Amino acid sequence: MNDDPCERELARALGDILDRKVEPESVPELAAEIETLNEIDRVIEADSTLPGRLSGHRILGEIGSGGMGRVLLALDEALGRKVAIKTLAARYAEDAGLRARFMQEARAMARVSHPHVARIYNLGPAGETPHFVMEYLEGAQLTRAAAGLSFGQKAELMLKVASAVHFLHQQGIVHRDLKPANILVGPDLEPKILDFGLALDLGGGERLSRIGEIAGTPEYLSPEQASGAAAIDARSDVFALGSLFYELLTGEVPFRGETVAQLLAHIREQDPAPPRRLHAAIPRDLQNICFKALEKDPAARYGSAREMADDLRRFLAGEAVHAEPPVYARLIRGKVAEHLRDLEAWRRDEIVSEAEYEGMRKHYNRLLEPEDAWILAARRLTLPQVTLYLGAWLLAVGAAFLTSFRYPALAGAPSVVLVWGFTLPMVWVGIREWRGGRFRVAIAYLLAFCLLAPIASLVTVEELRLFAVLTRGDLKFEFSHRMGFAREATNAQFWWALFAGLPICTWMRRFTQAPVFSLFFAANAALLSLATLLRMGLIDWVDRDPGRAYLHLLPIALVFLAAGYAVERLGHPEDSCYFYPFAVGFTWAALTGAVSYYEPYANWLRTTFPWTRGQLEYLFIGNAAIYFALDRVFERASSTQLHAVGKTFRFVIPGHVLTSLLLLGMHAKGRTEERVFEWLLPAMALAFVFSAIPRQMKNFFVTGLVFFAAGAYRLQENVFPGRAGWPAALLTAGLTLMIAAAWYAPLRVALLGPKKFLRKLQS
Amino acid sequence: MIETPTSTFTLLEAARAGDRQALSRAFEKYQRRLTVLVYYRVAPEARRFEEVEDLVQETFLRAWRDLDRFRWQSPDSFFRWLASIAGHVVIDQARYRARECRAGEEVPLRSASNPGGADPADIATPSRLLARKEAVERLLARLDELPADYREALVLAKIEGCTTAEIAGRMGKSREAVALLVYRALKRLRASAPERAR
Repeated sequence: MNDDPCERELARALGDILDRKVEPESVPELAAEIETLNEIDRVIEADSTLPGRLSGHRILGEIGSGGMGRVLLALDEALGRKVAIKTLAARYAEDAGLRARFMQEARAMARVSHPHVARIYNLGPAGETPHFVMEYLEGAQLTRAAAGLSFGQKAELMLKVASAVHFLHQQGIVHRDLKPANILVGPDLEPKILDFGLALDLGGGERLSRIGEIAGTPEYLSPEQASGAAAIDARSDVFALGSLFYELLTGEVPFRGETVAQLLAHIREQDPAPPRRLHAAIPRDLQNICFKALEKDPAARYGSAREMADDLRRFLAGEAVHAEPPVYARLIRGKVAEHLRDLEAWRRDEIVSEAEYEGMRKHYNRLLEPEDAWILAARRLTLPQVTLYLGAWLLAVGAAFLTSFRYPALAGAPSVVLVWGFTLPMVWVGIREWRGGRFRVAIAYLLAFCLLAPIASLVTVEELRLFAVLTRGDLKFEFSHRMGFAREATNAQFWWALFAGLPICTWMRRFTQAPVFSLFFAANAALLSLATLLRMGLIDWVDRDPGRAYLHLLPIALVFLAAGYAVERLGHPEDSCYFYPFAVGFTWAALTGAVSYYEPYANWLRTTFPWTRGQLEYLFIGNAAIYFALDRVFERASSTQLHAVGKTFRFVIPGHVLTSLLLLGMHAKGRTEERVFEWLLPAMALAFVFSAIPRQMKNFFVTGLVFFAAGAYRLQENVFPGRAGWPAALLTAGLTLMIAAAWYAPLRVALLGPKKFLRKLQS
Repeated sequence: MIETPTSTFTLLEAARAGDRQALSRAFEKYQRRLTVLVYYRVAPEARRFEEVEDLVQETFLRAWRDLDRFRWQSPDSFFRWLASIAGHVVIDQARYRARECRAGEEVPLRSASNPGGADPADIATPSRLLARKEAVERLLARLDELPADYREALVLAKIEGCTTAEIAGRMGKSREAVALLVYRALKRLRASAPERAR
C-alpha cells in the first residue's frame, strides 16, 4: 500500500461519506467514486425515484407499488382534482409484450362504465413512461372495510361486487385477478373494482402470453388457473368471488399453503373448512352461496356472477337461496376415506370384530352416499322440509278419501278435476324447482306427485267406470266391498291405478337420479302384487283357507328377491336395497301366516308324527329351519345385500326355536314329553349362547341367556321343587365357568398337552 | 390503494397484518442487495448465480416464517436481519453440500435451478429476475475482478451497509485502512466501467 497523502485524505473523506457523517456533494474530488457507488445502488436497489409529471399531471407521491409497476398520486391541475396514475416499471417498459398487455388493461378499463368499477381518464402519451390516468379513490380494501359489518351488510357488499363483475363479463372482460386489494370500498360502503392487470379480453380473441408469472394472486386463483388450464372463463372470476366472500365472512382466506406449490395443490384438491365451523354465527345460506361459488368444477359453480348475485339478493330478501353445494358430501368423503383406512387396519389387527367392522363400514358408506334430498335420507330436518312433506301427506290422505267416500258436492267430474288439479301442479313445480337446483323442494313435490298420481288415476277410472269388471263376476271378492267403503273401486281399478304409478316412479328415478323413487317403485309394486292376488281371488282364498292364502305371498317374495338381485347385479345397489326388505317381509308373512292358519299342515303333522299332536310350535321350528337354510344359501352369494337378507332371516331363528320349545314344554302331555322339553329348552338355549360366537350374533347370546333362565325356572318348578341342590348346582356351575374362562389358556394347554396345543396354534 | 406507502416499516406492518403482497414488496426491495451479499458469503466454488438465487429465496422464506421475531429499530434493521438469516442459510447450505443431501431437499419455489418448482407469490418472478439478473451479474463480474480485500471492504460497506468502524473490526484493520481499501476498490471498479459500456 503506497503512502500517497492525497489518496489517504480522499479515502478518509470517503469513509466519512460512507458513515453518513458528510454529504457526498461536499467532496467534489470524489465525484467519480460517488458515481460508482450510485451505480452499484442502481443495480441493487429497486427504482425509487418519482417522475415529476405524467400526462401533464403533477405527481404528488406514490400510492402503492406492486407486480409490474407503481400507482402514483397526482394532481390534475386543470380540474383541481386528484387522480391516480398507474405506471409500468421502467424495466418492463422496453418489453413490447408487456407494454401491449399494460395498454390492453387500460383499454379494457376504459371501455367499462359502471358505478362499481374505477373509471379511467386517459392513456399516457407515447413519449412518456407507459401509464394511464384513472379515478382516485379513497377507501379501504374489501376485507378490511368489511371487518366490522353485519352479515347482511357483507352480503350486500358482495352483491354489489358480484353484479359489477357480471357487468365486466357482459363487456367480454374476465378480470382474473379479483382480490381484496383490487376492490376498494369507500366510506359509503360502495365497492369499486380496480386493477385490471390480468384482465382477459374475451371479445378480442387475442390472448396475451403470461410472462412466467402465475397470473393472479395465488390465494384467489381458481382451480383451473392453479392447474394452468388454458381455458379460463367467467367462472374463474366466480371462484375468486367465492374466495373473497369466504374471507369476507370468516376473515380468513379459504386456502393456505406453506409454499406456493402447496397452496395451488390445496386450491385444486382441498375443500375449504366450512365457514360456519370458523364462525357459528354465519348464516347457513351464506355458507352455501360461498361453497357453491368455490366448487372445483366450473360446471358445478354458479354459471355466472349474476347467478351468485341473485342468490345474495334472495338471501337479503329473506328468500331461500338456490345454492345446494355438493361440497358437504365431498368434505365427508375425504374424512371417511381416512377413517375407512384406519378401520381396515383395526380389523386386520383384530381391534374390531368382523361384525363391528361391517357395521361401521356400513354407516360410513351411508355417509359417503350423496345426501338424498328426500326427508328420510336428509341428515338434518328443517321446518320447511317437514312442512313440505306434511303437506304432501295431507294431499295424499285427502285424495285417498276421494277414492273411498262419497261427497255429493263433488259427485262426478268435479272430483276428477279436483284431484288432478292438485296432482298435476306437483309435477310441474317439481320439475321447475329441480331444474332451478332446489333439489329438496323439488323432490318433495315429485314424491307428492308419485303418491297422488295413482290416487288420481283411481278417482278417474272410478268416475269413468273403466275396468269396472268384478273379480270372478262377484261383488263379494272385491276388496273395497269387503272393507265397506262407500265408493267401491274394483280390484281391477286398483290394479290399473297402481300399475300407472310404476312408469311414473321409473321416469322420476331417471330424471332425478334419486334412489328414493326406487323405494316408491318397490312399494307401488308390492301393492300392485297384492292387487294382482286380489284380482286372482285372494278374498275367496282367505275365506276358504287362510293358511294357504298366505302361501301365495311366496311367489311375490321370490319376484322381489329376484328383482333386487338383478338390479344389484346391474350395478345399482342404491336401488336394489329397497327391493330386498319387501322380499323378506313377504317371506315372513307367508311362512308365519301359513303355519298359523294352514290346517292341512297341522293335519299332516298329526298323521305323520302322531306324537306331535299337530302342535303349531313344531311348524315354527320348521320355519326356523327354513330361515336357517335360506341364511346358508344367501351367505354363499356374492352380493353383500343378500348377505344382509340372510342375516335378517338368521336373526329370528332363536326366538322361533326357543319360544316354540317353551310353549311345547308348557303344553306337554305326559311325564316323558314334559321332561324332554324341560331339558331341551335350557340345552338349546346354551347351544344358542355359544353359537353366537362364530357369526357374532349378539341376539343369539341374549335370547339364549333369557331362555336359559326360563328353562332353569321350568326345571325348578317341575323337576327340582324344593331341592337345594339345584340352585347350588347353578351357583357352582357359574363359578366354575367363570374361573375356567379366566384361566382359559393354561387350562387349554393342560387339557390338550403343550405339543398338541402348539400344533393347533400353528394350524 | 391509497393507504399503502412503501417504506419498509409500513410494508412490514402491513405484512404482519397479513398482507403477503406487502412482504413481497419489502423483499423485492432488498432482493438484489441480498443476492450480492449471499454471493460473497458462499464458498467461491459454489458461486453460481442460480445457486445464490435459491439461497436468497430460502432466506426470504425463513424471514417470512419468522417475521414475528423481527423488531424494527432503524431503517437498516430489516436488511441487517435479512443478512443474518442469509448467514444461517449459507451455513446450512454448506452443511447440506458437505453431506451431499441437497438433492433430496425440497426447494419449494421456482428458480432457475429449480424450474419445476412453483412460482413464488410475488417475490421475484423469473421474468423480473431476468431483467435484473444481467445487471447484477455484470456487477458481480466486476466485483470478482477486484482483489479479495478490496472486494470484502466494498461489499461490507456498500452491500451490507456496515460503518467503516464495523468493517475495521471485522477485517482486523484500522478505519483508515478500510477507507483506503474502499477508495481503491471504487477506483478499480471505475476502471472496469468502460468495458461494461461496450
